Amino acid sequence: MAGIASRRLAKELKEIHTQGCPVGIQLLSADNFEEWHLSLEVMGDSQYQGEVFALKFRFEPQYPISAPAVQFMVTDKYKSPVHPHVYSNGHICASILGTEWSPVLSVIGVCVTLQSMLASCKKKERPPDNDRYVRHAPDNPKQTRFHYHDDTV
Amino acid sequence: MSSREPMWYCHECHAEMRPLMAPDPHCASCHGTFVEKIENPQDDPREFTGHGPLGDDAAPEFDQFLMGLHRLLAHPGPRSPAPRPSSPGIGGGIRFEMTRNRPGAGGGTFVLGGPNTLGRAPGERDGVPAPGSSMFTRRNSGDRDPENAIAGNLMMQYLISMLGQRPGTRGPGTGAGADPLGGLFGPMLGGAEEGRWGDYVFSQDALDQIMSQLMENSNAHRPVPASDEVVNKLPKEILEDGSPLLEKDCAVCKEQFKLGTEDPDEQIVVTLPCKHPFHEPCIMPWLKSSGTCPVCRYQLVPQPSQEHGGPGAPPAGGSSRPGSPSNGNNRPRSPGAGGNGGGGGLLSTLLGHFGSGSGHSRSGLNASTNNRQGESGHSRSGSNASASNRQGESEAHIPGSWSEPVD
Repeated sequence: MAGIASRRLAKELKEIHTQGCPVGIQLLSADNFEEWHLSLEVMGDSQYQGEVFALKFRFEPQYPISAPAVQFMVTDKYKSPVHPHVYSNGHICASILGTEWSPVLSVIGVCVTLQSMLASCKKKERPPDNDRYVRHAPDNPKQTRFHYHDDTV
Repeated sequence: MSSREPMWYCHECHAEMRPLMAPDPHCASCHGTFVEKIENPQDDPREFTGHGPLGDDAAPEFDQFLMGLHRLLAHPGPRSPAPRPSSPGIGGGIRFEMTRNRPGAGGGTFVLGGPNTLGRAPGERDGVPAPGSSMFTRRNSGDRDPENAIAGNLMMQYLISMLGQRPGTRGPGTGAGADPLGGLFGPMLGGAEEGRWGDYVFSQDALDQIMSQLMENSNAHRPVPASDEVVNKLPKEILEDGSPLLEKDCAVCKEQFKLGTEDPDEQIVVTLPCKHPFHEPCIMPWLKSSGTCPVCRYQLVPQPSQEHGGPGAPPAGGSSRPGSPSNGNNRPRSPGAGGNGGGGGLLSTLLGHFGSGSGHSRSGLNASTNNRQGESGHSRSGSNASASNRQGESEAHIPGSWSEPVD
């Protein structure tokens, strides 16, 4: 199984290296086929001008059949963008990362989609249930069952 | 203590006395704490004595009214339901039981709620009660059939049973007219589950129930896998020289189809009805998780999608699917309509709201991916067009609902 994921990721990585990333997206790290980091910046006029975010992708061996776990990184350097679909722990409410995932999508494809999600934001605010969600959020945003422990991300 | 000081009345032993005041006022004779100062002649507590120690039948007219109402609703003429199964334990709601041993008045058990108290109402068990007959029984003397015990104030029973009993869903035989009253109140009250009222809960179980229901509902949009039958019918082709497929890519692994691969399975190409070709080992695992085309989302099996309720989405040309904002509202789930036996009313309204929230956020992103797919590239204009759709949406609906785990 792992073969499929690594072959596909290797191909994506090769493409990134040969063709480069779309504007505003940069590969930060892709040392293995389990976790990649990319930076994301919204170009042009937007609510997030001058802000740089980082996305963490985690891949299962079933990738691309199963969606990657994608979230904004929350570290000393990076913050979670204030957006109605982004929780302060970096978790993202985006259907393409859940039920609407398709293996046709790729790491770069997800980045571009999230980039445009931010670009189209008119009002910077957290999801209304942010506090409640973040309190109980599982570490992995893909997890469907509740795990009542603190999110450590 | 001055003699002008009013007497107190004990509702438990009916004594008139001066209570012991420490730590709280309690009856000097039975030490009960249900004591009342007799100070207002208009509201003399002693007037309750005639009806019983706990004043259950303090308002018989009202009980009568409720009883009549229940009978009316429970037996709407010819549609009279089969006797409601009243097996204890199944219809068990909240049961509150209080047993006392009172000096001078004999023991008494006071029961509220309990298994199917409403279902066990005289109207069901003993035929319709004559008007004026008592709807409640107090087992003061202990010589009554405990099966018959309809204890507690009827109003209380109504409340408790509304809280504690899910209307019309318990047990077999509760068909059409199972509990019209419950049906009446159910949607209003949010389809009471055991120990639960709307999204108020009274027990850990009820909380867990709500949680799992929320999760189930949040997963209601999980893709439906393609059945073996559907999968087996898909046309398969073995690559050979000169095949036009050799010009194409498999959208899952993003590799071009080619002859002489290491894995012989990769010589087998499956073409979906929408004409999109895939390596067999690439598409099969996907179809087992979602019966859709990865490229255009053609539905091989009907998906619980917010976009298209029915089967057979327009094949090919992913971009042809409208990302219109109204799509999010087309989902089959509507408040109160849940056929899954889940709570109706408030809760599903809430869930419906949740749902539409995520549906909208979804339809937006969704459309953008579609556009991208349709235009085979990272077309910014496509994404933006759909993004503006989403904008309009998120103003009117709750954004930020989580499509997967949900809070």
